[in-house]
Formats: sequence, C-alpha cells, structure tokens
Amino acid sequence: MMHSDIKSRPAYQALVPDLAGSRHLLVIEGDALPPGRLATLSNTFAPVADSLHTWLTGAPAVEGIAGKLWQLGSVEDVLDTLACATRGYGMGDRLYVLGTEPFLWSVAGAAALIGFGPGQLQLEHAGSLRRRVWCTHCHVTTENVTTGIVACRGCSRHLLVRDHFSRRLGAFMGVMVDAEAPGEIPAIEEVFA
Amino acid sequence: MSIAFKPEETFRGDYRYRNSDAAILRFPFPFPEDRYMYSVNIEPHTRSGPSDVYLHAFDVDEHYIAECRDKAITLERDPGRCQVLPHMMMAQWDTLELLMESLSADYPALFSLTKEGDDFGSLWTWINRPLGIEQRFVFGDAETLPCEPFEYITRQAQGDFAICDQRDDNLYMDAGMVTSQADWSLEFDVGMSFMEWHGPVPLAHQTGVFERALKYLLMLRLGQPVRRLNWTMSINPRLDTSPESYPEWGPDRASVTPANAGEKVHLRVELQTLWRLPRSNAILFPIRCYLASLDDLARVPKWGKRLHRVLSTLPPQLVEYKGLTRYLPAALEWLAQRDDGAELPVGTAAGVTRLNAPVSG
Repeated sequence: MMHSDIKSRPAYQALVPDLAGSRHLLVIEGDALPPGRLATLSNTFAPVADSLHTWLTGAPAVEGIAGKLWQLGSVEDVLDTLACATRGYGMGDRLYVLGTEPFLWSVAGAAALIGFGPGQLQLEHAGSLRRRVWCTHCHVTTENVTTGIVACRGCSRHLLVRDHFSRRLGAFMGVMVDAEAPGEIPAIEEVFA
Repeated sequence: MSIAFKPEETFRGDYRYRNSDAAILRFPFPFPEDRYMYSVNIEPHTRSGPSDVYLHAFDVDEHYIAECRDKAITLERDPGRCQVLPHMMMAQWDTLELLMESLSADYPALFSLTKEGDDFGSLWTWINRPLGIEQRFVFGDAETLPCEPFEYITRQAQGDFAICDQRDDNLYMDAGMVTSQADWSLEFDVGMSFMEWHGPVPLAHQTGVFERALKYLLMLRLGQPVRRLNWTMSINPRLDTSPESYPEWGPDRASVTPANAGEKVHLRVELQTLWRLPRSNAILFPIRCYLASLDDLARVPKWGKRLHRVLSTLPPQLVEYKGLTRYLPAALEWLAQRDDGAELPVGTAAGVTRLNAPVSG
C-alpha cells in the first residue's frame, strides 16, 4: 500500500499537463507502465503535444505517442541527459515523471540540480512498489527491495524497512532489526511487490 | 557564579558522567501533572523559569568541557553529523554571532568577544577559557576560521543545533550539528520540510499539532526566542544515541533489570529553543540535552513519584516510538517501590532545596 501514517511518505497523483508551461518533458519508465497507460497519457497530453518531448526508457518503441519521442536505455541515461542538458531549462519548463519510486526520485533529484523547482515537477507512481533503502548505519543504499527486512548491501546488517522517506536520497530508512537482541531476526516476507 | 567543570566525565565506554547535587536540583523536569499529556507547550524563552537552566540564552553547566569533547569524538568518527547546505552561509554567520554574543554576555568569566565593528569585514577576537581557545578572525570571512562558522561555534556549545531555512511558507532543515540526538539521522533528514522531518512522530499529526506549530514558528520574531521541553529515555548517560550508532547502544536496552534500572535508565530532557536569525531570516533550533538517572531523580521525592505515574499512563504508540518497550516494565517496577501514592502538587518545581540520600546501591 502507498498510504502511510508517516507524513514524509510522498503522495503521488496522475500526471496532468500544466498549461501554464511553455515546454513539457514527460519521462517514463517503460518497464513500469501498466497496459494501456501510454495511450491514456497520449490523450491527456494531446493539448501540449506541440511542445512536448517524451523520454521513454526500457520499453520497445510505441506508435502514436504524444510529442516527440526519444528512447533511452535506462534511468542512468535519463540522469546523464539531464545533467548534460544541451539546452537551458527555465521557468517555462514542466517535467512529468512516471515510474517506480526509485525512478521518480532519481529523476526528480537530477532535475532539481539543474534548477527545476517543486512547482515545475509532477510525479506519478506506476509499477512495482519495490523500494530503495538507505542504511542508517553505513549510509549505503540497497536497490529493488521488496521485503520488509533486507540485508544491507553495504554492511550486511538486517534492516527493518521503515516508511520514513527522504526525497533528497529518494530512499526509505533502514534500521538494524536485531540491534537490541542480536540474532533475533523476524521472518522475512515480501511486502513491496 | 563559577562552574566546577568535570572534564574527566565520559558519555560512552566507562560512562563516567555524574550529576552533582546542584545539577540534579536544576534538572529541567518536564512533567507538571501525574498523567502523560501531549502538548506543543511553546512559551517565550525569557530568562526565568522553574529551573536555573532557563536563566541564560544558552545554558552552560558542569558538563560543558566533557560534552564538547564527546562531540569532537563523534565528529571524528562520523563527520556527516555536521551538514550545511550551500545556501546557508549567511545563517552560519548569524549563528556564530548569536552564540558568541550570548555566551560572552551571560558568562563573562568564561567567554569574551571583542569586536572592532559589528559588520562583515570587522576583526573579532573570541576567547573561550574553559576550552583554552583564543581566535582572531574576520566576521564574514570563513577563510579566517579553522572550519566553517557554524561548525566552529557549535563545536564549542553543548547540545545539538539545526538551522531551518524559511521559504514557501515552510521550514527546511538545511543545516545541522547533531551529535547528541534522540535517534534521528541528520544525514537522512537534511533538506526536509517541517512536516517531513516530523513524519515518524505518532499521534500528534492527527490532532493538527504540527500545522499549528509551523504557523506559529513562521511568525517567530527577532529578539523574541521561544522554548519547549521534549523528553525520552536513554540507557546509560550516552549523548550519541543516533540511528547511525544504534548497533552500539541498542543492546543496552536489553540489559535493564528492576535491580539496575535506577543506575541504568536515564530521563533525557531536551530544552529546545527557537531563534529568528537577523540576516538570513532562518530559524536557529538548538536542542540542549540533559540526562538524569532514575537514582538521581528519585532523590527529589516529587519527581520520582511523578515519573512513575506519568510513565504508567504513556500511550503504547509513544512507548514504541520512544523505544522504551524492552525496558519500561523494569523501570516502572523500580519506580513503583518509591511511590507511596501521596498527592503531589501541580508543576515541575522540585519543591526541595536539598536532596534525599542516594537510593540505589
């Protein structure tokens, strides 16, 4: 479930073109797309199709997508392309991102670095609920976590995955689950499928 | 007034931290009533109150030298405990100025600040006698200090410091020096908005407490600081109860028994103050930590009994959030033996000027 009592957990909403923007960039994690979502997105973004670029990762080419389509291999290519932006982005630009939570916040972080403010950015969650988990002890992140407890990639401690979320890190907090009673590790279950 | 510092104290390893009788009597005990009540409890930080800790802008006590050393040890092990986002340089100088001016005015025997002018570019001389520091520097020129101004001055102060940048009708934790925290991570929280960094706190969000507190703080005025107390409990007098070092101190929670609770279990009270900063318009948020064992507190009969009653009425969500689950029963059993059920006056004042003899051991 996306809902949480912990208020640092972001809420996401369906993307809608902001007609106050002059240029629009839609970044989509292809592998996270539900069936039919691309077609509905194309309809939704039709009013701004003339000033829309769509960056699509992973998935095969799609016919009839709104705006000018660019295909990129992975999220790393998206981040590199943003970081080396060959044109300056400005006040009129709007960025829309659709994908899993690690994808959304990777792109949001790269966009913030080149000057996108919160009012220029929309995020819509799609696909798996898997999490990026940041270890509070060794500060290494572990990707693609689907279980409520995970062994840290950095220090091997078993981390309880909390709902507390950092937008800067794009990650959930992981805290050693057996710190108070070493070795007492509860059953590990898949909870973020 | 002179302070008898105790530089030999430690807050880890052999835990040689002890409160003198005077330190116990001035402890900022946070519970005015017999049952637990959550409240924002923000009040003006006037130079008065039911404890001596309120008498100065920034309280300096007998643990000053030992706490500064413990902070240096923590920073040596984990330099990320001090973080400042790049746009916060003006707020760094604001903080240095506020601390140097307040400390030298409140404790002239310990600290002195000589200024050739008030503005950036002026030559200032800072003397910190307890730590043996004399520093000449140019106010506004970070190159003339051994490190950036926020780190420089907060290394010489007890407690933690956060700076909240104010923009878009919100507060963002964009700088911090955090080495004695009650289990929150600056590295994780830096840059967060007010609601985000309070995200994990149970119960209070639902009652709108944080919305009201934020509105109030956005209107905080220069020269009119405010304060509140917050509290939790710690096993052993350990300042560094960070999530980073939780693998080191977590097992201590399983070591408490009804026999050793008096010595092991500490009430950890934070005197939180909030200050509008003049140039940056940011808010400085010092979090000053006081530790007293159950042994210490029970020497003030009213406090020992009241703590027993308050902890008995704590909502389960708070027991869990504050991390008390594993040892609260043992602490309550220890406290129950010292609570005769007598009626206690409302208020936090100790009500005595001399302590009872130590109760444990």
